Amino acid sequence: MEPQKNDPKNLWDWFNPKGRNVGGWAFILNRIAALGLVFYLYLHLFVLGKLAQGPQVFDQFIATAKSPLYILGELLVIAAALYHGLNGVRVLLTSFNIGVPQQKQMFYTALLLSVLGTLVFAVRMFTVH
Amino acid sequence: MQSTPKTGETFWLWFTKIISGAFILFILAVHLTVNHFLAPEGLLTHTEVVAYFQNPLVVFMEAIFLFLLVLHSLLGLRSILLDLRPAEKSRRVIDIIIILFGVFVSLYGLWLLNAVRTMGS
Amino acid sequence: MWKITYRVHRQKGNEPPHYETFQVEVDPEEYVLDGVEKIWASEDRSLTFRHACHHSTCGACGMRVNGVEKLTCITKIKDVVQDGGTLTVEPLRNFPVVSDLVVDLGPLYRKMAAVQAPAVHALSMTPWEGQNIAPPADIPMRSADEEYIRLPDCIECGICISACPVAATDPEYFGPAPLAAIQIQGLDKPELLALADSQEGVWRCHSAFECSAVCPSNVDPGRRIMDLRRQVSAKRLKLA
Ligand code: HEM
Ligand code: SF4
Ligand code: FES
Repeated sequence: MEPQKNDPKNLWDWFNPKGRNVGGWAFILNRIAALGLVFYLYLHLFVLGKLAQGPQVFDQFIATAKSPLYILGELLVIAAALYHGLNGVRVLLTSFNIGVPQQKQMFYTALLLSVLGTLVFAVRMFTVH
Repeated sequence: MQSTPKTGETFWLWFTKIISGAFILFILAVHLTVNHFLAPEGLLTHTEVVAYFQNPLVVFMEAIFLFLLVLHSLLGLRSILLDLRPAEKSRRVIDIIIILFGVFVSLYGLWLLNAVRTMGS
Repeated sequence: MWKITYRVHRQKGNEPPHYETFQVEVDPEEYVLDGVEKIWASEDRSLTFRHACHHSTCGACGMRVNGVEKLTCITKIKDVVQDGGTLTVEPLRNFPVVSDLVVDLGPLYRKMAAVQAPAVHALSMTPWEGQNIAPPADIPMRSADEEYIRLPDCIECGICISACPVAATDPEYFGPAPLAAIQIQGLDKPELLALADSQEGVWRCHSAFECSAVCPSNVDPGRRIMDLRRQVSAKRLKLA
């Protein structure tokens, strides 16, 4: 059979929330979070290379990492990881046909828990760091 | 559509992705707690990191964490790229790049892990 | 009667698409397809669109109404627009546009054939809705092992494929309706197992459940894809 042509322009359809439903939002957020996490993970591993350069270099970096801008960025990463991870549990369960009729409630739960979790980290980071 | 099914992604790769994700969730919880809540000043200092890595269990856990993250993130990325239905040739190139990158990062991670561990002795 | 504006996607041959607006007088109880027919009947005979049955059986009239996939013969005008408002109608996504509102559903039909979608099937093959279907008591069975048969719920309208974000970039992905057709049959046939457990099978799905949100015929293809995953997993893990 003749393969159809695909259109890279349609890539936007992955992320476009217009007309999407609850499951669609879950997918959009999951994919954005995942892409952000991949970028962060490898940046993180690269930056941790400073550990090998000894205490001065590393502790100086840790001092900068406690500035509000870094903390905000870090909170974004934590929010993404919490959401992607909790939604991952939703994807895992539904993939074995467990709780598919409840997938919307599971999405709201994952979202709520990620927001709460992020707030807990925000309090800790802005008070102690 | 084609008459012979493409085998670029089948059960075992997907299963690896989903199970690695589940394990990451647990180790990530430990990772975030140690680095943000147990750290006395909010983030671990160099001395504290080295002390933490004197526990062989921690080294083991972090090595597994590294391995699972590299596996999961690259399988996930590959799955996103497959959604774009790359030509068979491009898919092979993607696979080679992903494998080389994964091996490189894993080796780098293990080297770093060992470097930090040995700083304590 | 309501006065509404239809904003209609127009495209002939290889020319770039554009939108044309028509003022239409409609009864709000009428359906979106009725308005399209009025435009065709009294405004522009060159407007092309597909329909046959007008009662959600043939699957020909799928379009995007205000950006959302609808079977236009059962979508009431009052449910998608207000008096004086504007209604945008566009062809389904993820299929080649033939003309105006008409897409080529051929790729879907070929996939349905590839997965051996049954034209009729035993009532017991779809237990989820079979539970709610009482076989007529006054029609006797000829033998004890004879089964009631029924038409599948899927009317092959293609709406689910239009709503699927993955189908947007991968036209080879089997997509909701064909995977649901495999789920109904089970995985005893090795060729169906091979199709389901392939790069263009169940693993392309990323659980957006958009198909189930728009399916007009109660197929719940998203849940069926998930159940098919469970079936494939059981086979591969040798649990079944
Ligand atoms: C915290 C625990 C995590 C869990 C439980 C988890 C779970 C999952 C699951 C179930 C999927 C499949 C989604 C789908 O195909 O629809 C997935 C996809 C993915 N994950 Fe994770 N994950 C976790 C952490 C991470 C991290 C830390 C990263 C990045 C470093 C990551 C990167 C990805 C990527 C790139 C994808 C593909 C996303 C997509 O298909 O849209 N994940 N994850
Ligand atoms: S599964 Fe539903 S939306 Fe998809 S083709 Fe069949 S009837 Fe239409
Ligand atoms: S005209 Fe037949 S389904 Fe709408």
